[in-house]
Amino acid sequence: MSATTELVSYVTTSSHWTGERGIPWRTFEHLRLSASAVAVGIVIALPPAVWLGHVRRGGLLAQSLVNIGRAVPSLAVVAILFPLSLRYGFGLGFWPTFVALVLLAIPPMFTNAYVAVRTVEPAVVEAARGMGMKRAQVIGRVQVPSGLPLILGGVRVATLQVIATATLGAFVGFNGLGSFINEGFRQQDDGKLLTGAFLVALLALLVDIAFGRVVLRITPWRAAPRATKGSSL
Amino acid sequence: MARCAAGYERIIAVKRSLKALLVVLTGVALLGSACGDDDDAGSGDTAGSADTKITIGAQDFGESAILAEIYKQGLAAKGYKPTIQKLGGFRDLEIKAFESGTINFAPEYAASLLEFLNNKAGEAGSDIEANLKKLEPRLFGRAKLQALDASEAVDTNAFVVTKATAEKVGLETLSDLATKGKDLKLGGPADCETNPFCIPGLKNTYGLDLAPKFQALETGQVADALDAGSIDVALLFSTDGRIEAKDYVLLEDDKTMLAADNVVPVVTKDLAGDESLVDAVNAISAKLTTDDLIAMNKRFDIDKEDAAVIAKDFLAEADLL
Repeated sequence: MSATTELVSYVTTSSHWTGERGIPWRTFEHLRLSASAVAVGIVIALPPAVWLGHVRRGGLLAQSLVNIGRAVPSLAVVAILFPLSLRYGFGLGFWPTFVALVLLAIPPMFTNAYVAVRTVEPAVVEAARGMGMKRAQVIGRVQVPSGLPLILGGVRVATLQVIATATLGAFVGFNGLGSFINEGFRQQDDGKLLTGAFLVALLALLVDIAFGRVVLRITPWRAAPRATKGSSL
Repeated sequence: MARCAAGYERIIAVKRSLKALLVVLTGVALLGSACGDDDDAGSGDTAGSADTKITIGAQDFGESAILAEIYKQGLAAKGYKPTIQKLGGFRDLEIKAFESGTINFAPEYAASLLEFLNNKAGEAGSDIEANLKKLEPRLFGRAKLQALDASEAVDTNAFVVTKATAEKVGLETLSDLATKGKDLKLGGPADCETNPFCIPGLKNTYGLDLAPKFQALETGQVADALDAGSIDVALLFSTDGRIEAKDYVLLEDDKTMLAADNVVPVVTKDLAGDESLVDAVNAISAKLTTDDLIAMNKRFDIDKEDAAVIAKDFLAEADLL
């Protein structure tokens, strides 16, 4: 059987669509984990990044710390946290993977947000101050909205990385789309393996498209110059 | 013009540094391969030829790693130069590795291998000789393989629960599990789902389908997951030292789903033609007992000792070095 027919035959078998090991449930679990990790990452990364960008200080230090985070392999984080998770009653799968994904999500969001706020045209910021805006207003009404496309670009990159990397959870018993890949590999079941890979890619693509729409809606003034669509640095 | 020249110089500079990088990378690669070759030759009698290429495939669980080390070091003592290839998976991968020529030797289990090769026909029984006889043509059909003498050491799958679960649900046998444990979560290596002595066997022999809630785990995680309560039933091996050490309840196979799973080395036809090699391997297998396996697994899983050290001690004790 060719790869495509194996994939099609796995996906079209009805028993693969039911129960907690079926396609819908695992997709849902995958999304739930990814969304929680990105949400928590946003809460941790964006406020300090915006603040440091605003005061234009401590950027280098923070940037270095965050970049060290990029060098830590997610698999190692998952593997180190797994026994701790079992010992302290957090169970298999979700929590070790969640922590690794939060750490993965922080660097691109932090970097983008910091640069976005810091590089807002100084004349605009001066003008805002000249109009009598207070600090919170300068940040909230001028700097963040101006930098929003870049900030959202960081969130977008982080989200895609998180969705792709959440597959690692399968190695510590997280029941997401990675489980199809892990089991397919171990059982030499190519249909199952390809199903996992295909669904992760599809999910990432759909989320990215949805993200693009949302970004366009939030920042309509960016619609014209598409070439500078928010990207990481 | 001047700008162009400057650009050109820059390109040359970049090219130079790329070249330097390439040289460094090549050096590192060569260094790595040189280091990989310095396995010392056996110090015993040199009946074997160092030219015979022996690559032993080890499956992804402790006992397989230990057995691979035992055969490797035992053969090294006879002057061969075997190497071990970790498969990172189970029987499915091992057979493919045989077929592709990546390995030509693997420690195996008679009944499980037979049922794997015959597509779960249910031929394997409790008589090891009968199992081996049925295994022969199946092995030859796949990549021209051959089994050498089987050892008396037996290791079967073992379904265990914690004492607390056994008392709460009232479990002593697999039949009990079939009637009272339908909703329990089974955890084990991923191949349990396709292994005829695991989920498919439970379905055929006991009418119990644990697939819907099956939790695939890395081999080393299974006992810990059971202790943590993340799974209810664990698939371990009967020679696992933790069953006794942790006071797990081994569910009795009252309908004899499990068969005579003696340790048996499987080799390619080419290797089987080498008489002194076959003699050396058979001499090792002859010394191996089930109790040896239990003791060695305990050292590996509980005391976290290295497979190579455990194997060396066994061979020294059995006077095979």
